[in-house]
Amino acid sequence: MKTEFLTRRARFLAVGALLALTSLSFNVAAQQQLSRRYPAGKNVRIELKNISGTITVESWNKNEIRLTATIESKKAQVLPKQTDQSLVVDVMSDNRGRGDVGDINFKLQVPVNSYVDLETRTGNINVANIRSDLVRAHVSTEGDIILTNIVASKVVAQNVMGDIFFDGEFSSGGNYEFKSNKGNITIRIPANSDFHFVASSPARRIAMNDFWNNNLKSHDGRKYEGYVGGGGSSLSIINYSGQITFLRR
Amino acid sequence: MNCETCQELIHDLIDGSITQRDEFTLNTHLKECLDCESVRQDLASIVGFCRTQRGQYEAPPNEQAMWLRIRNVIEAELPSRVAATPEPPRSFLGRLMGRTWELSLPQLATSTVAIVLLVSLVTVVGLRRWGGYGPSAVPQVEASNVNDRIWQRRQVIDYWNQRVELNKARWSPEMRETFDRNMEVIDQAVANSLDELKRNPHDEISEQMLNESLNDKLALLKEFSDL
Repeated sequence: MKTEFLTRRARFLAVGALLALTSLSFNVAAQQQLSRRYPAGKNVRIELKNISGTITVESWNKNEIRLTATIESKKAQVLPKQTDQSLVVDVMSDNRGRGDVGDINFKLQVPVNSYVDLETRTGNINVANIRSDLVRAHVSTEGDIILTNIVASKVVAQNVMGDIFFDGEFSSGGNYEFKSNKGNITIRIPANSDFHFVASSPARRIAMNDFWNNNLKSHDGRKYEGYVGGGGSSLSIINYSGQITFLRR
Repeated sequence: MNCETCQELIHDLIDGSITQRDEFTLNTHLKECLDCESVRQDLASIVGFCRTQRGQYEAPPNEQAMWLRIRNVIEAELPSRVAATPEPPRSFLGRLMGRTWELSLPQLATSTVAIVLLVSLVTVVGLRRWGGYGPSAVPQVEASNVNDRIWQRRQVIDYWNQRVELNKARWSPEMRETFDRNMEVIDQAVANSLDELKRNPHDEISEQMLNESLNDKLALLKEFSDL
């Protein structure tokens, strides 16, 4: 009787393990991998509109773009379009009417002078080592934005929930905008940066650190504005409930 | 910056006499406030039109000869006895009203522009001086402007909210949770700004924050209304 019980239990376990393995292998099989290379001239524009998933963009020392995408759902499609001066990937319009298409994780390797314009509804955005006229990262809902080693004349980073980290240099005459509803915004720039700025935080959480000077005007601790150095570039930061921190690079 | 200060600075911006600091502050406000941005666009297009059209009205060739020909035609059609009737003495007003006003096209255009500018100027000066029912009424007017703007924005938000609610049933549970979670964060920012404005109706920072968060709310609703 005991032996029969053990045999039944062993069978039950074996069937369970088999089912688990099958489901895992189905998941792996369901994931698609897309990899493409595109020739690129100088100052190529990369435009990516994702729905959900991580976007990573980094520069490399080649005059071409390499796009890799990991697509979670089989029904999702990614149809990159290349024109003379741009590569456009619009997951939103490619999958309109298809329902929930799950996460699509992108990795793009691009020439260092590329204009980078990224949007996603949900997910993290990472951009590294870009020197160009535009770096824009927009997360409509939640996701961290990490911009590392960026030298661009226009930088825009915005989300509702999630941290924003900018590490780079401000160009003279450049324009920089950072906005979050709930998350910390950290700006890491060289000590000799020249900019004029408005930083608003109704939660009164603004830390100017090494960039404080007596000419800065504080409005009740909720808003700081003024000139740092010559004020060559323009910076605007809004954070409703998180911390705004300036750090020296 | 409040909308009144902004609209004063818009004139300086269009004249090119704005300081760099004011321009930065103004641009920051214009990004947040659709009403002021619309005023700026209207004013810029009016001034731009006047500048481009200045002195470009084409006069007819030999303008004087044309007017003489017209006068000849009119005089030829008048009965000769009209000219023979002695004219009774008229008052100054009568003479003024009876005078023939002969204006060329450029003169007519210039007069129209001058009248429009004069009426606008008088209206603006009149509103500033007498329109507020005395200095004590100015804050009330400002406060009601803020409320009006919020009310207008809320009407638009309600429209998009209805569209989102219609589509919500089709969403996956994860998407619904994400939307609700993020909307809650934005609503909290709106509520905080409104609370602050109740305590201090002239608080520019809260007004700015309210504008920003209402814009965020609208953007999120628009994006999700398509799904």
